[in-house]
Amino acid sequence: MTAPPGSIESLYPFLYQGTTAASGLLDQVRQSTIAKTAEILSLRRAVRDAMAGQLLACAREMARRFAADGRLLAFGNGGSATDAQQLATLFLYPGGTARPLPALSLASDAAVLTALSNDIGVDVVFARQLAAFGGKSDIAVGLSTSGNSENLLRALDEASRRGMLTVGFAGYAGGKMAELDSMDYLFVAPSTSVHRIQEAQTTMGNILWELCQDALSGSAGLETPKEQAHVPRHSR
Amino acid sequence: MTAPQEPASLAAGTITAAHPAAQARVSPQADSLFDRREQPLHDFAMQAAAVAAACYQIAARFHQGGTLVVFGTGGPSADAQHVAVEFVHPVIVGKRALPAISLTADIATVTGIAARDGMAAIFSHQLRYLGTSADIALGIDTDGNSSSVLSGLLTARELGMLTIALVGGDGGAIAACPAVGHLLITRSADPRIVRELQVTAYHLLWELVHVFLEQPGVLAPEAGA
Repeated sequence: MTAPPGSIESLYPFLYQGTTAASGLLDQVRQSTIAKTAEILSLRRAVRDAMAGQLLACAREMARRFAADGRLLAFGNGGSATDAQQLATLFLYPGGTARPLPALSLASDAAVLTALSNDIGVDVVFARQLAAFGGKSDIAVGLSTSGNSENLLRALDEASRRGMLTVGFAGYAGGKMAELDSMDYLFVAPSTSVHRIQEAQTTMGNILWELCQDALSGSAGLETPKEQAHVPRHSR
Repeated sequence: MTAPQEPASLAAGTITAAHPAAQARVSPQADSLFDRREQPLHDFAMQAAAVAAACYQIAARFHQGGTLVVFGTGGPSADAQHVAVEFVHPVIVGKRALPAISLTADIATVTGIAARDGMAAIFSHQLRYLGTSADIALGIDTDGNSSSVLSGLLTARELGMLTIALVGGDGGAIAACPAVGHLLITRSADPRIVRELQVTAYHLLWELVHVFLEQPGVLAPEAGA
């Protein structure tokens, strides 16, 4: 870019290149940006209306686990792997006056991930780690957009067998994660766009963290009101 | 740099669907946390023209064989990796893979530079040896004051790279830096909300860059040079 940063020319280069095709595309892309912003706004509203009560109940259960020296173990594939890292670092190093809590991402260690993938297969990369260091007070958080990743399904089953709290994030209609008996809380962003799903999941993760901090600070208490008590999925 | 342009469909009420007030708010505590997200999102939509301009220039660089190089510290270090995987391995079938790397995945190099040369050098050093004048630098920061990201953007500009900053808060020192070619500010005092907006912003950058790449006629050889 030769135009000075911040100049009108740098913002609207088509005005200076005289290409009306580019100008039309720029306008189309501007409109797309607004339309997609509208999509995430309405998806967040749908998630709020469907999930707010469950998020509060889950956060209180997580707070009880942290109070019992539990840790949060987050995992996912691809973009959800980096979202798992984000969730772990939010709990572990939140900054400000928030209380740091023990949290790990199981998707960050290339040595562990490649060793397990190469020697056994990608389906076990998270389940094996949970078997190695997951305890009954811990919290397993699996992030997926499809809800169908085999390595997440296996990990959540393994976590449940070990007495861990199991929390899942999915999109679409929840996929196979919605059929797992081992799932304590499943937060679904009802969309078919992987991007909008991840954006709504980011919000749910952040809200879960904030509600968990509130619960641990004692203002909300750790009692679960009866109407918000968790009902296992298989008995719903 | 934000063009004061009225987002037409927001004004037209496309996304102001009736609030489900009739519906019982079973947990006002959690509901209010969701509601706090709405105004910052409206503010971000006002930058739609800046998003489009950035996408156009990024597409022009890709068209000429440039690589996207992404960096950030703390939470945004994971976002940098997220952006790289979006481009390299697109989630939408049929979209072409584009060259993108993050400067946050090599913890040996990052901690090595930080220990010897200081945090401010962690990206600028890597850019100097991995970047070329054809490339695109995307720096992501929560409050706009990261010395590592600022220094990375300055180095990228010196090298002749296209420089894009995605920053939150009030934009901080990065927003004021003349080395930044395209500035996208996700305004919020809450760093979690900043991050949510940034996830939307980089998803849009990925998706909408393809709109231009699929019309290579608009990507003149000199564009973005």
